[in-house]
Amino acid sequence: MAAFAAHTSAATSHYSPAGTAILLRSRRRAYPIRVSCLAASAVDKTVVIGLAADSGCGKSTFMRRLTSVLGGGAEPPRGGNPDSNTLVGDAATVICLDDYHSLDRAGRKARGVTALDPRANDFDLMYEQVSAIKEGRAVDKPVYNHVTGLLDPPERIAPPKILVIEGLHPMYDERVRDLLDFSIYLDISDEVKFAWKIQRDMAERGHSLESIKASIEARKPDFDAYIDPQKQYADAVIEVLPTQLIPDDDDGEVLRVRLIMKEGVKRFSPVYLFDEGSTISWIPCGRKLSCSYPGIKFSYGFGTYFCHEVSVLEMDGQFDKLDELIYVESHLSNLSTKFYGEVTQQMLTHADFPGSNNGSGLFQTIVGLKIRDLYEQVVAERAVMTSDAVRL
Amino acid sequence: MASTVASLSTPATFAAADVLPRKVVGRVWFPVARRSGGFAVSSSGPTTPPEISDKVSESIKKAEETCADEKGTGECAAAWDEVEELSAAASHARDKLKENNDPLENYCKENPETDECRTYDN
Repeated sequence: MAAFAAHTSAATSHYSPAGTAILLRSRRRAYPIRVSCLAASAVDKTVVIGLAADSGCGKSTFMRRLTSVLGGGAEPPRGGNPDSNTLVGDAATVICLDDYHSLDRAGRKARGVTALDPRANDFDLMYEQVSAIKEGRAVDKPVYNHVTGLLDPPERIAPPKILVIEGLHPMYDERVRDLLDFSIYLDISDEVKFAWKIQRDMAERGHSLESIKASIEARKPDFDAYIDPQKQYADAVIEVLPTQLIPDDDDGEVLRVRLIMKEGVKRFSPVYLFDEGSTISWIPCGRKLSCSYPGIKFSYGFGTYFCHEVSVLEMDGQFDKLDELIYVESHLSNLSTKFYGEVTQQMLTHADFPGSNNGSGLFQTIVGLKIRDLYEQVVAERAVMTSDAVRL
Repeated sequence: MASTVASLSTPATFAAADVLPRKVVGRVWFPVARRSGGFAVSSSGPTTPPEISDKVSESIKKAEETCADEKGTGECAAAWDEVEELSAAASHARDKLKENNDPLENYCKENPETDECRTYDN
């Protein structure tokens, strides 16, 4: 009679509890049993992160900051489709959910359906492939070419340590949502979105203020119906709003950014200012630190967001110099940094990225550190499970 | 444009501009110092590749036509969605061009172990 840890075949059960040891007798069983080394299978499981953002795929600033924090860089896969949206690095692979469009651009135009509409996306395939990668199996993922608007031949994706799925609908489908270990929603307010799109598109021949406005307004109904509701499911929401420090209308230069962190999320401890669970309003500029107009204002508090308990950290204003960044970092707690000044260092390394001088870059970097911390906790847990199983 | 945190980069880029005079038929020409990327994108950012740029302008015209007849329908939304998608693709293409502008960076990506490309962390 041999006693060893075994998995039952995945054919009948969706959930195989890794880490349980089952005593087997050497009699024939009714169902097939796949015996696998627990150590190998536990390590193979990928950590999946979901990011909901409207700004295109893979090359966004958030992705670049995240891959920088996780280390190992991220490049488009070599030798593959040059218009691929995927980024592959040592630590993480980023896949773009636009690749799961079921209708290409012509198909969507024929049916009068935007890319935001769930009817244009194949959620079954998305679930199938993300769960396959999560279990350690490589997949052939389709490629959606943003330039031609066609679906190109599939590319092979090998399971990485961390898989980031970025796009419009990472949390729309319930099955995919359950696969996510952590999810983030980037909530850009309408005024800021308008200002950013102006910056992006005004240099483009053919675009005018009216066309940019019309484009945003035409997409708004679908956006509000299908994309916006995902924010209630996110573990962290980064809200970008216009500033409150400058009384009259400015051009979206100075931003007020809020990091809304859900309480009680596994392996995620929210960042706080001074005293966890209290309400703080903090203006660091004064005697010790001199800032230029309009300065910096922080607040921290707690509340509810879509019926969940949350902590909210908010920054309004801009960083002007290195001193301010390091000063602020030294007063924030639970950042999950590995050394003092890591946040500042990350922000400086990417000083040319948009948002490097305000809360959006700061909070994106912090969320990146939280994801790294989550991954390391998962790895540590597996190591404990493996050693327990071996002892049995 | 918003100022970046590491404004220390400003002097470096100016120093990189070459100021050797070139003699052209008795007159002395000084090449104008160029600011390269890293800040103030509006002054000298790369332009979108023409194919994508044409696609963007075409799609805008089509969208305006579609929406002139019937506003608020699926076709109108799909047309503007296409404009948004192409504008995003154009912006990514511009960023890619900006990234590929530095020949040293490109060389070092392929050959990080050569003398010119070595980095020291401590």
